[in-house]
Amino acid sequence: MPPLHEPIPPDVLEWCQAELGLETVPAEGPEVPRDRLLAFARALKDQHDFWFFLYCASTHYPEEGSAGEEGHKPDRTLVAYRVRRLPHAASGRPTQTFPFRVWVPTGESTPSLAEVWVGADWQEREQFDLVGTVFAGHPDPRRLMMPEDWPGHPLRRDYAIETGHFPWR
Amino acid sequence: MAVTLSHSLPVQTLPRTMQVGGVTVPVDLVTTGWPDPQMRLEDYDPEADLMTINMGPQHPSTHGVLRVKLWLDGETVVKAVPYVGYLHRGVEKLCEKLTYVQLTPIVDKNDYVSPMMNEMAINMAIENALGIEPPRRAQYMRSILAEIQRIGSHLISVGTWGLDMGGAIGGGATIFMFCMRERELLLDLFEELTGCRFHYNTHTVGGQRHDLPVGWDVKAKQVLARIVERSYEYEQFLVENPICRARARGVAVLDPLLAMECGASGPILRGSGVDFDLRRDAPYAAYGEIEVRVPTRTEGDALARAMVRVDEIRESARIASALLDGVPEGPICALKPVKLPGAVKLMEGETAYAAVEGPRGELGTYLVAQTDRKVGQHPYRLKIRSPSLHALSLLPYLCPGHTLADVVVIIGSLDPIMGEVDR
Repeated sequence: MPPLHEPIPPDVLEWCQAELGLETVPAEGPEVPRDRLLAFARALKDQHDFWFFLYCASTHYPEEGSAGEEGHKPDRTLVAYRVRRLPHAASGRPTQTFPFRVWVPTGESTPSLAEVWVGADWQEREQFDLVGTVFAGHPDPRRLMMPEDWPGHPLRRDYAIETGHFPWR
Repeated sequence: MAVTLSHSLPVQTLPRTMQVGGVTVPVDLVTTGWPDPQMRLEDYDPEADLMTINMGPQHPSTHGVLRVKLWLDGETVVKAVPYVGYLHRGVEKLCEKLTYVQLTPIVDKNDYVSPMMNEMAINMAIENALGIEPPRRAQYMRSILAEIQRIGSHLISVGTWGLDMGGAIGGGATIFMFCMRERELLLDLFEELTGCRFHYNTHTVGGQRHDLPVGWDVKAKQVLARIVERSYEYEQFLVENPICRARARGVAVLDPLLAMECGASGPILRGSGVDFDLRRDAPYAAYGEIEVRVPTRTEGDALARAMVRVDEIRESARIASALLDGVPEGPICALKPVKLPGAVKLMEGETAYAAVEGPRGELGTYLVAQTDRKVGQHPYRLKIRSPSLHALSLLPYLCPGHTLADVVVIIGSLDPIMGEVDR
């Protein structure tokens, strides 16, 4: 029976709880504050051997409720990262992945991880292009997939598939 | 007749190794400072007369619609900027409007050279989220089909790479025809099993759609034996053909640390001396029940990556033959045949990630289920972690310092499939 989530490695779990001050860390990854993301990522790579960048996937969540009311959630995106460490031959540690997530309200930005992992460069360009998350300090903030003059970000929830766009009206 | 070579590559000395992040990598490949892909041209020699050249998107040797903008000093590449997206079809957006059972035929078209892997990755992610496990027979069938598919994919890769290097004059057309000839046999096997030559739609949530026909295993083993026998011819072509040797050896030597940071895996990482394979290190399907040997090379150049692929053809044939001997009896799907497409529903806000070792590296699917129960049969967000995209992002680092003609060889050795890069 495959587990729903690959469990977070115990040593990283402990470090993560101490670093972020969390009581429990959900299996789909801790939510890292944006201002601490860069230092968190660097420590993951340098101290915990997570050299292998897997993906960065941004998900758009539209506004819930109206401003000022209880339970109001602004228009925002959730950026989910996942990194891997390769098997450690000497200690017999198997290969493990570690997910972490960042909430980014629309109109604000999150630090780019391209200076920590080279692979984040194109991944973040793709997520900016498709979902519209802005990565501050990205070395090359251009669209990756869509034409440069394309209106909007297609993977947002409010971007209807039926919308006519030149020349595919 | 199998041709036995006294050596596969000349002078295989044991490399000096070092430990980085717990991984053993060859010292000689680790470089200090990689080329800067955002290099300002003004910082290059101001006296130089740079020429800008556009390569693609319609170019026979870019393996699909890839455009590369190159700045040349004489014949040497100074800077390379790849442009992708010419084949962007919005698969991830489309998947948000489809039910879980309908996803399989859509993701088939991502990596159109190895559709089996795509189907397997996405169905494994859905199964993880649902908490079901396919029966053992289906697990075996998945591994067998994946290995046969891997052979087919590597044949295309090695064959078209030969075409890139030699063309009709240098003997490249020969290996291309050899590889296509052998791939035909594999497609016949798949056709007998699923009715389709590619885009099979044979994996489904919880198992397989089509059971193995009677006598298929015998036929498959014959084909695999034939391919193993002929794979020595490819090796001979790659190692002993002077054109191939001259054009590929020492070209685009890849730092394993750069490959790891970039997320490039599979033959690219193994060609740079990193011994990592998901089939062995994080077994899925039936791989846990069989020994998987991982071929690696320590040269790190374009030839090493191709040699890893040829070695993997033989290894995959061995694994598939061994698994064919032990296919257990039983059901092939954990769920009842799904008639209504919306029958599979996921819990609110669940996420799942599943990865398989595709022919180009780690092919993963990240899935976020709907937060609204009424539309629970659609994914909320689906992200396909395509190995080709990560491999292609190495291009700006590998090209500088090489000649224009080498760029073709480098792209071929990275083996990107544009359908998967652009999605």
